[in-house]
Amino acid sequence: MVARSSKGSLPDAKGVVAQALALSDRAAPLSHTDAEAWEDASTALRAAADPEGPPQSRGALEQALDRAAAIPLEVAELGADVAALAAVVAERCEPGYRADAAAAVALAAGGARAAAHLVEVNLAMRSGDPRLERARASEQAAAESARRVLASIR
Amino acid sequence: MSTLSTLTDAELVHRCRSGDPDAWSELVERFSRYVYAVCIRGFRLPEADAEDVFQEVFARAYTHLDSLRDDAALRPWIAQLTRRLCIDSVARGRREQPAAEPIPEEVARDLDEIEEAFAVREALATLSEPCREVLDRFFARDQSYRTISADLDLPAGTVASRIARCLGKLRAELEGPGLEGRSEPSSESGG
Repeated sequence: MVARSSKGSLPDAKGVVAQALALSDRAAPLSHTDAEAWEDASTALRAAADPEGPPQSRGALEQALDRAAAIPLEVAELGADVAALAAVVAERCEPGYRADAAAAVALAAGGARAAAHLVEVNLAMRSGDPRLERARASEQAAAESARRVLASIR
Repeated sequence: MSTLSTLTDAELVHRCRSGDPDAWSELVERFSRYVYAVCIRGFRLPEADAEDVFQEVFARAYTHLDSLRDDAALRPWIAQLTRRLCIDSVARGRREQPAAEPIPEEVARDLDEIEEAFAVREALATLSEPCREVLDRFFARDQSYRTISADLDLPAGTVASRIARCLGKLRAELEGPGLEGRSEPSSESGG
């Protein structure tokens, strides 16, 4: 919305909008698959904790948690991308829309942080997993975008 | 990339008419994917029928190239030729269906998508390598800004700005001259 309204100060506004739509297309299916992965992981955890339940291999539990971590990781990386794109818009949009763009950056950074936290929780059994570092890097990149943009408008 | 591959369609037609065999090879190379896509994805012809149409398209192109009125209109000419031969092929397969029957809506939609995809592909080929690379990475390979920025050693914001700028160039190329400036911006947004 901000990019579409800032064609004067943002000559490549259409290209920004196209990227925003592409990121949105990548994000949309993740909400569904994340819910499925969460459900599978919860079921696996409940089964593992039930002494009277059917025997469950450690591998099956790890597999469920692994998938439950993979999707939040994608969300964290998408959050960092959205924050980076929104920051470009915030820095170049019409001044009247800057606060809206900054809010988008902050929201994206919040999403990246929440998703990175979920990655950490789901990979708690795998302390050396490189995905932890990727999630943290995305969280930090998004946070840096938010810090920079918010500082510029205060 | 050979010299022939950089020729415009009109220049290529001119070279073909002059009897240059390499130009003919280039013409087939340039349009082979397109013709196959129309046959297989558009009309869903069986492989053997698609192969027949493919051969016939280029055989007719060879023998009737002189009938092409506008050399720059090579692609629409080959498109029309391919569609007509595909319809004939379908009609032969279903004898009750007359060859003149209109193209079904679903096929027409697929053909439009194929046309659009090839038009974008051609327009992409005219862009600079850095533009082609970022557009391919972001839109075709779904790479994140982080991945692209790490590989190209650019800040994420600069990647996003470059993609936006290159999309503008691609759009200008697709829509023709005069709609957007084609000059390179003097700087990119950092950050």
